[in-house]
Amino acid sequence: MKMLQSGCINSWTLAVYFFLVLSGCTPDLTDDANHTVLTPAFEVDPMWPKPLPNHWVLGSAIGVTVDSKDNIWIIHRGNGNPRTEHGAAQDPPTGDCCIPAPPVLQFNPEGDLLNHWGGPGNGYDWPGSSHGITADPMDNLWIGGNGSDDAHILVFAQNGKFLKQFGKPGSRRTEPFNKTSPKWNGNSADTKNFGRVAKISFDVANNEAYVADGYLNKRVVVLDITTGAFKRYWGAYGNEPDDTNLGLYDPEAPPAKQFGNPVHAADPSNDGLVYVCDRPNNRIQVFTRDGKFVMEKIIAKNTLGDGSTWDVAFSKDSQQKYLYVADGKNMKVHVLLRETMEVLTTFGDGGRQPGQFFGVHSIATDSKGNIYTTETYEGKRLQKFVYKGQKPLKTKDQGVVWPTVSR
Amino acid sequence: MAFVPLKLGLSKILLGLVVTITAINIYSHEIPRETNILAFIKPEGQHLRLLVRVPLEAMRDVNFPLTGPGYLDLANAEESLKEAADLWLGREIIIYENGIILESPQLITASVAIPTDLSFKNYDTALSNTLERKLPSKTEIYWQQAMLDVLYEYQITSDSSDFSIRPGVEQLGLQVTTILRFLPINGKELYYQHTGNPGTVILDPHWYHAVLQFTRLGFTHIFDGKDHILFLICLIIPFQRARALFILITAFTIAHSLTLATTTLGLAPNFLWFIPLVETMIALSILYMALENILKPDIHRRWLTVFICGLIHGFGFAYGLKELFPFGGEHALLSLFAFNIGVEIGQLVVIILCLPILRILLKYCTGERVGTILLSILIGHIGWHWMVDRGSTLIEYELSQIIFDGLLWNPFILLTLMILIGLGWFLTRPGRPLG
Repeated sequence: MKMLQSGCINSWTLAVYFFLVLSGCTPDLTDDANHTVLTPAFEVDPMWPKPLPNHWVLGSAIGVTVDSKDNIWIIHRGNGNPRTEHGAAQDPPTGDCCIPAPPVLQFNPEGDLLNHWGGPGNGYDWPGSSHGITADPMDNLWIGGNGSDDAHILVFAQNGKFLKQFGKPGSRRTEPFNKTSPKWNGNSADTKNFGRVAKISFDVANNEAYVADGYLNKRVVVLDITTGAFKRYWGAYGNEPDDTNLGLYDPEAPPAKQFGNPVHAADPSNDGLVYVCDRPNNRIQVFTRDGKFVMEKIIAKNTLGDGSTWDVAFSKDSQQKYLYVADGKNMKVHVLLRETMEVLTTFGDGGRQPGQFFGVHSIATDSKGNIYTTETYEGKRLQKFVYKGQKPLKTKDQGVVWPTVSR
Repeated sequence: MAFVPLKLGLSKILLGLVVTITAINIYSHEIPRETNILAFIKPEGQHLRLLVRVPLEAMRDVNFPLTGPGYLDLANAEESLKEAADLWLGREIIIYENGIILESPQLITASVAIPTDLSFKNYDTALSNTLERKLPSKTEIYWQQAMLDVLYEYQITSDSSDFSIRPGVEQLGLQVTTILRFLPINGKELYYQHTGNPGTVILDPHWYHAVLQFTRLGFTHIFDGKDHILFLICLIIPFQRARALFILITAFTIAHSLTLATTTLGLAPNFLWFIPLVETMIALSILYMALENILKPDIHRRWLTVFICGLIHGFGFAYGLKELFPFGGEHALLSLFAFNIGVEIGQLVVIILCLPILRILLKYCTGERVGTILLSILIGHIGWHWMVDRGSTLIEYELSQIIFDGLLWNPFILLTLMILIGLGWFLTRPGRPLG
């Protein structure tokens, strides 16, 4: 205060100093000459969703979808260690926490839990291992399953009311079925049942459902949304699907002529293309709606094991300019320019903090371009990545997109 | 003995009431938690058209014919759809022409759309789809997921009249968001979005409508913000002379006007952490003022700190104004100015009300210095708790890399700030006694 009073450091000086300091802190807005591209930018929202009530915890989260009202739905398996995770669910309880949440959960854009339901019930066969959830044009929820006996799809209204079942569980059992050493065989020519469905997506204009079929079969199936009638199906490169086991993926070998297992997603775009995730072969194959092969893109070629192409979602502009690919093995999301299928950038990394991933499994976008992801295995989480507009990109692999200043 | 029959009778009555209430609840559907409504209003010639899309589940107390597991029986639903439209929309929405209610709207059509239908993106497709599209009767749409599209027509005297609307749709859900677009004859499209009941909305307001409305909004906004009121009180406790008050309030006003304007015009940072930061800083500003009052307030320094605090409070004002801004129609800048005026009037009212009380308190009850300290401790205590509560949200973000962006990197804003700070220094430089 004395210095102020003496005028040695007066307000004017302070203001000038303030300005100079801040000027010095001006972010470097010149781009790296090697990576001057515009891409959609995202920041993880660490406050989303809000904590679940009732000591509920998620299991492996294996599906996410956004409905017409921008509400977010997920499906998870409720699996967990009874001793360490589900103490409150034991009989008698071994602790205050926790309890597996109901399988299907609905959140609003603010992250509040709105609704919950799911599990076995009358009139339908709940999957042995649920897999995938997608809202259809009527906002009904379609659920697949990749359990041993799962060969069917379930359709529910938003309030959990069962509406339809397509296919019958147990259809893939080899006959006679030996309970001691059970076996199941894929049948990609079956026009009534499926082979462990991974995901269902929808072409609104043509009232068609695209089924990634799946963990046992090796095909994409197209159904009539209303009746569930099979309309067409195809295998890799648009060929007749073949259920022969082609062995493990070899990065040095030519691309396999058939899909591997699982065929993990089949999403139609607005302009009549279909993007199919052949997960263990690290590739996305692109087709026309009638199954004619267009091109393929291999992502992270040297990825082994679970593969790199787990799920896809489109950006929400009318041209669907960008394709987002969930990569649960390399723990990231790839951002592709859909026209060329060039990988522009990636975000995410392995870990437990917001913006990191453990087995990022499913991906969806809302009407504002925000991204939602779910994580399987021990990830057991739902995350939101807020769309921050198009920004010049400085690095190919952004790592964790923490909410800070623009990069 | 007479008591026993009475007791039994009362039990039966109570039981009957419980059964009745339960039955009523089963009949009348649950109130939706969130309801989003889209609407268009367009005057043309002697008619005004009102197009509305609402979720069908918001149309309570109407028995829609169902089939199967809960699909809407489209072949037999027409009457119930019209009944729902009249019950919840036709009778509730009131439109005025030149201040006079337009009576007896005619229901032209009420039809069903699937939830992913995009025809309400613009007026023309909404109108043509509502008039012409009928879903095939075999369409399986779960009734709670269907959308109800309704077209009303009103007789008007002229399509260039002044129109206003009282939406009256706030009962359609626990939280109702309405997006309304008005298409006057000059070809413009005016967009309004509000939550709940906005009262009477003037469509395409004249400049004086905007001025009156936003001055009122600014005035009431002050009284909705406890933190702003507390800050003002804390500010004026030690400085009650006219000249000192004038300087401080002017500094505060100019500063918050600056950030209010830049935020409303979209120039402020839009990072996720920004609102929690602003709220925490507002609480911190209250705490700081209180501490300065306790230590030793100095007008030569206070005007600058008040100016900086004003910048922060301006961001806080702006986030309350954002949703209401479109209600100014084409008079955006005038609305902003009027809002500011309203805020200033509100501030003056607070000061005028508080000053006499403070003077009496400090002069006759506690003494000036002791009273200042005691009041400041109380206010600072509140500010501390607010800061801790709001800060707990803020620290979830990684603060080490936060640099002010957007506003302060605008050269115009920086230059303005420097000029204002320089001017303030000139006015309050040592040797010029104040307060």
